[in-house]
Amino acid sequence: MKQVYQKLDVSKKSSVEMPSKVLLVDDEKEFVLTLSERLQIRDMGTAIVYDGKSALDLVRNDAPEVMIIDLKMPGIDGMEILKEVKQSRSEIEVIVLTGHGSGQDRKKCMDMGAFAYMQKPVNINILSETLKKAHEKIKTGK
Amino acid sequence: MVDDKEGLSKSGMRFFGKMSASATHEIKNCLAIINESAGLLEDLSMMAEKKPPLSLARVNDISQRVTRQVNRADIVVRKLNRFSHGVDRKTQIANLEETVSFVLDLASRLIAMQGVVIKVTSPLSRIMVETNIFYLENMIWKAIETACLAAKEKKQMVISFGTDADTPSIWFSMDAVQNDLMDDLFGSKEDRALMKHLDISIKKNKDNNGFGLLLLKRNPVTPN
Repeated sequence: MKQVYQKLDVSKKSSVEMPSKVLLVDDEKEFVLTLSERLQIRDMGTAIVYDGKSALDLVRNDAPEVMIIDLKMPGIDGMEILKEVKQSRSEIEVIVLTGHGSGQDRKKCMDMGAFAYMQKPVNINILSETLKKAHEKIKTGK
Repeated sequence: MVDDKEGLSKSGMRFFGKMSASATHEIKNCLAIINESAGLLEDLSMMAEKKPPLSLARVNDISQRVTRQVNRADIVVRKLNRFSHGVDRKTQIANLEETVSFVLDLASRLIAMQGVVIKVTSPLSRIMVETNIFYLENMIWKAIETACLAAKEKKQMVISFGTDADTPSIWFSMDAVQNDLMDDLFGSKEDRALMKHLDISIKKNKDNNGFGLLLLKRNPVTPN
């Protein structure tokens, strides 16, 4: 079976602190490709999809630990993905990463159960730290 | 009169806000890619210090990615700049097809989000009108937005131009429409104020799957 979540160096021992299954959902291909590579450099396993439908399919077939989703996408948008994931697989932590900076959207996402709401462009250290905290929450169940 | 002014002003502000938000969102996406590309170069440099060599092809690839995004952001800024200058003059002479193309270009991201495919059929000859370009763009966007909402399932739209030389017109036709949305076209106070300001009237097409904007009383300008 094809490995969905890619790591930079498969022979390297996985970090226990960082999530090994991070799903990136964004229709900005160059953005997610680059971000994915940078997260892999930081010991995370990543998978990329470019639309909401593919994201929900992957959640059903090979669920991630953490998702990073954009809000504005053609077809099923980020809000709908967040709602669906939190209803069907509440253990998956969702980080919203968007270029759309409305305070109302932030509140709505957090009320719907998002782990964090972040703005593009993002500082990779802050994003990595947020992913680490999301991973900790999953591991400890808190 | 006060109602008309207020309606027109609200409509204009709403349009300006929507287009600006869409353009700045796209610029943010470009900046995000540039930010990640610069970060990736930094990551690769640090890795190369420990485990050389750093692939020059890889560096070149990332550099081209940055150049592409700078060009993309530049195009968005140019469009936003042209759009902002639309309020400079009360009236100006405009090519109707070019104005439609500009609005489609400006709102391309918003249209893509709705999953609508739009085809423009050019007029046989240029149609020039003297009008307030900002409000005409506003009206064209409202028509596109309304047509997108009214379109059923297969979201395909054709925009064409009327051939009557005395009454320039723009037509928006869909494969199939939801009749309830077609029954109350442009009925809000804002819409009515906008149409009144531009001397535009609305007419459903004969197949009842679209509508036209008829630019009344507006003396068409003879193309050079």
